[in-house]
Amino acid sequence: MSELTLGRAAVDRDRLLRLLQDYGVYLGVAVLLLVNIAFTPHFLSAENFRTQAVQVAPVLIVALGMALAIGSEGVDLSVGSVMALATSLISLYLGYGAWIALIAALVGGVLVGVANGALVAFIGVQPIVATLALMVAGRGLALVLLPQLKDVRDPGLRSLGTGDVLGIPYLVLIAAALALLVAFVVRRTTFGRQLLAIGDSRPAAQLAGLPVRRVLVLVYVLSGALAAVAGVLATARLTASDPTSLGNLMELSAITAVVVGGTPLTGGRVRIGGTVAGAVLIQLLTATLIKHDLPPSWTQIAQAVVIVLAVYAARERGKR
Amino acid sequence: MTQTVPHRRTASRALLAAGLVASLALATGCAKSEDDNNASDKGSSSAANENAGQEVASPDGGKTCDIAAFGGEKADLKSATVGFSQSEKEANPFRIAETASLKAEAKKRGVKLLTANAQSQFSKQISDVQDLISKGADLLVIAPLNSDGWEPVLRAAGAKHIPIVTVDRKINATACKDYVSFIGSDFVEQGKRAADQMIEATGGKGTIAILLGAAGNNVTTERTKGFEDRIKEKAPDLKVVFKQTGEFAREKGQQVTEQLIQSKPDITGIYAENDEMGLGAVNALKGAGKKAGDVKIVTVDGTRNAVQGIVDGWISGVIESNPRFGPLAFQTLDSFTKGDKVGQDIVIKDSAYTKDNAESDLSKAY
Amino acid sequence: MLSASSLSKTFPGVRALDGVDFTARAGEVHALIGENGAGKSTLIKVLTGVYQPDQDAGELSYDGRRVSFSTPLEAQHAGISTIYQEVNLVPLMSVARNLFLGREPRGKLGLIDFRRMHREADAALRELGVRVDVQRPLRELGVGAQQMVALARAVSVDAKVVIMDEPTSSLEPREVRTLFGVIRMLRERGIAVVYVSHRLDELYEVCDVVTVLRDGKVVHTGSLGDLDRLRLVSLMLGRDIGDVQDEGLTKFSGEHDAAAEPVLRAEELTARHQLHGVSLEVRPGEVVGLGGLLGSGRSETAKAIAGALPTDSGRVVVAGSPVRTGSTPAAIRAGISLLPEDRKAEGIVPGLSVRENIALAALPGLSRFGLVDEGRIDKIVDTFVKRLRIKASGPHQKVGELSGGNQQKVLLARWLAMNPKVLLLDEPTRGIDVGAKAEVQKLIDELADDGLGVLLISSDMEELIEGSDRVVVLKDGAVVAELTGDAVTEDRLMRAIAATPAGGPPVE
Repeated sequence: MSELTLGRAAVDRDRLLRLLQDYGVYLGVAVLLLVNIAFTPHFLSAENFRTQAVQVAPVLIVALGMALAIGSEGVDLSVGSVMALATSLISLYLGYGAWIALIAALVGGVLVGVANGALVAFIGVQPIVATLALMVAGRGLALVLLPQLKDVRDPGLRSLGTGDVLGIPYLVLIAAALALLVAFVVRRTTFGRQLLAIGDSRPAAQLAGLPVRRVLVLVYVLSGALAAVAGVLATARLTASDPTSLGNLMELSAITAVVVGGTPLTGGRVRIGGTVAGAVLIQLLTATLIKHDLPPSWTQIAQAVVIVLAVYAARERGKR
Repeated sequence: MTQTVPHRRTASRALLAAGLVASLALATGCAKSEDDNNASDKGSSSAANENAGQEVASPDGGKTCDIAAFGGEKADLKSATVGFSQSEKEANPFRIAETASLKAEAKKRGVKLLTANAQSQFSKQISDVQDLISKGADLLVIAPLNSDGWEPVLRAAGAKHIPIVTVDRKINATACKDYVSFIGSDFVEQGKRAADQMIEATGGKGTIAILLGAAGNNVTTERTKGFEDRIKEKAPDLKVVFKQTGEFAREKGQQVTEQLIQSKPDITGIYAENDEMGLGAVNALKGAGKKAGDVKIVTVDGTRNAVQGIVDGWISGVIESNPRFGPLAFQTLDSFTKGDKVGQDIVIKDSAYTKDNAESDLSKAY
Repeated sequence: MLSASSLSKTFPGVRALDGVDFTARAGEVHALIGENGAGKSTLIKVLTGVYQPDQDAGELSYDGRRVSFSTPLEAQHAGISTIYQEVNLVPLMSVARNLFLGREPRGKLGLIDFRRMHREADAALRELGVRVDVQRPLRELGVGAQQMVALARAVSVDAKVVIMDEPTSSLEPREVRTLFGVIRMLRERGIAVVYVSHRLDELYEVCDVVTVLRDGKVVHTGSLGDLDRLRLVSLMLGRDIGDVQDEGLTKFSGEHDAAAEPVLRAEELTARHQLHGVSLEVRPGEVVGLGGLLGSGRSETAKAIAGALPTDSGRVVVAGSPVRTGSTPAAIRAGISLLPEDRKAEGIVPGLSVRENIALAALPGLSRFGLVDEGRIDKIVDTFVKRLRIKASGPHQKVGELSGGNQQKVLLARWLAMNPKVLLLDEPTRGIDVGAKAEVQKLIDELADDGLGVLLISSDMEELIEGSDRVVVLKDGAVVAELTGDAVTEDRLMRAIAATPAGGPPVE
């Protein structure tokens, strides 16, 4: 009898951890919203929500690509540098017009993705090492191309950063559309299924005849392209190309959003809804601390606590 | 998977290398930026402006040094070789103007100048300086990345009696023994003067936000201290209600300011500890539908963009942190090698930009 | 010299050693053999202090005294040296340094006396018939020479017992000869040698005494010379010679009608150290068994055919057209499907659902423009779940949560969804319960009846004999015999495995 109840307690704990991992992030967002509504002056306003949404958009877009990389049991540390590269390329090509500049930035992101993917899939370099190399190289290249901050005057690009449709900023619309697109890719395409299988068990995927290399290259290409899009949007919003600081530590924010959103670091699972919520959670956390003028170091500590909690929930669950 | 066929591996490597080279060529080869058509880039040309050189703020009162006290022999600067070691990549206006100023002054005086850039790596700066010495530098100007860790360089230079002038940051060593003098700004003073501007712009009443620089940076702490002390002392009705870091970057400055004006829409003024964060704050205010002058902004550095901000009415005042060490550094070396006394601590005079002089002095900004 | 009496070792859920008695005597080479999971490596690890035996379960005595080693180092200091399959020395250090690692000869000042060390190292290796420059780094030597250095090190520490765990697995024949010379020399010096190997020929060449382990128990111990090969094989496999083929023990029905043209032809497959010119044929509707002991190259053969093991030479032909070797996708496209031996690591994708696992390989065919056709997947999954009687709470249950038998059925379904021509089944019933085992066996039978060519690997004698129409016997990575028709009996199989190499296959 006692053994039986013990067993049930363990099951309950397991279920609790699973719920916490899967839905804890939504709970966190809800709690932060409530806390802010109660204690932060002027929180409940359209402008405020607009501000938070606009600020989170680039982080979210990068996190979408990161979710794919993590789902394949990898990681992409080069995303911040890709943003810097994209912003450099924009300034460099803006003379031809906004569209050409945009395409140049995207091509830059894709090329970094190809390099990452080739290192990981063909040469067999650990993702963390391969993308670390491109993180260093990418930032270096960005600074070679554009050694210092440069203002962007193109009206088309500037309106991308500030304009809106029916009160919803372009940035937010683009981020939302990309989130839906990536969710669709993960759920409904062959690529998405194969990506999850490779992330869960690469030897099994290999023996099942999956095009492992092609899928992995595509993962990093998508991650690079998404980071480049984020770089373009951040540039438009800043109305300047700042390769020195744009995208600094972006890889950490993106990984945090993905992990807090319930995507396990061990691969085989990608949660786009959770990633969106994870990015929002971090944004709200940062906003709360800034609005209440708490010491800046607290933001970092708070983020660290959230990461540890998320990883703990995933780990404890993984043990069973 | 692990046993890739060799030729295939080399093929993919070659492909990778080719791709990277191609992308670089593509990126640089046919680039065309927005202002390729009109004139040259800002900054570099004006950096050498003769009228924008530095003046000494406190020429007397401090300790002095001469060649007799330091050791070594008199010489003529004209026939000497000067080595300059820059700390960071010339990726921000300050460093660009600093290096350009030294180069311009060397050219003007006809002195041979060797330069090196440590790219923010301290170990590289140490070997840079040792290189400069072995390449025959008779005198050294150093913009140190760190204050500590200079013993090996000082020993090498001391053995050859090479006079060293450090610019913009002091090193922890004995003046007139390990090095000759330090030429730099007084960051506390910059903060105080920014406070004066803020008091003037706001009338000494209201609430103030501070956009701090990078954490753990002496510039941040000193500019904050000077500002807060002066506000407390002179305008007790001006309250600092918000202090968040913008990490000296425009994007962070913009994001933090966006949060600020949501939660404290009636903020009176913003003190940004560098121009970039101030410009980010301007972006944020524009985005929130504020008008120029609604919130008073005071920044430090004196870059062209910020001074333009004064002209446009968004920024109330900019305190200059003068990067043009060239004239003063060479003047110091010249006097010193002739045998004259020079100050051990030479604090340079930073000017300020307000709406009264912004338009006329815009060309002086770097 | 070293003996264990009624030794037991239990791991959570498994009794790895069960009352084992083992004695290694001075001046005797003692063979320790057994199939996978018999307990050989556990016994060695207990003898060398890596594992501790269960409390109050048996005792170790060494040199006449009761001992217990709590670390491998203690055992080493007592004079028990172990040489593992993989050389565990420092590759960047010189040969001499390796030989004297941790006990370098010291000069007056406590510094290493290199001259003496080099001289002594050279002498020690010469004694073993190895001539190398002892000042060169170890890694520049061949694997065989490295093994010799390890051996020299073991001998030179005044070892009284030397344990060798499959020392010849990466050696060339010439190096094996040298090794055997050394072993004989050790025996003459009165050292007790424990020799673990799967290669029967080697055992008969150098060993005096043999202990056979099976399922953690000693099933035989005694002089090797008194034991013929056939008897030895039957002891290892746990089958009696002349055991009558009982009907109905397994769910196989027996004969299939085999067509004339082979659907799969493997020709002279060779992979260094693993396969030496393996050729075999499988006809449609035929189940061909791969027989042989552990390490004989059965799994390697299957993997080489399926493109999962790179080969140095050889061809694979499916239904008349050659398949590119070394490429899994190419093999799959040609109609070859492999159910790997390590189901959990290489077969299932544990985190994905039953549905996704079944559809995994067939996915590109079930998609249009890269988009998955969910309706067709549902239909296929439904069909196979019913046909293979897969028991899951639903198609969306994670495969990792299923029982072994159902996992195996999911894998079968995955391959059947590809309409393969050839199925390679590596230990399809290992680790699954009796009921599921019978079901899987029945399924294999049905599949062959439907015209598939099946290659079956099984350590379960019964399954192999009853399930196969033909058995190809492998030994040391080469085909040594092929049993057909009435010759497919356990008796014949064991004789084939036990056959001496010089005599050639005694059975047709």
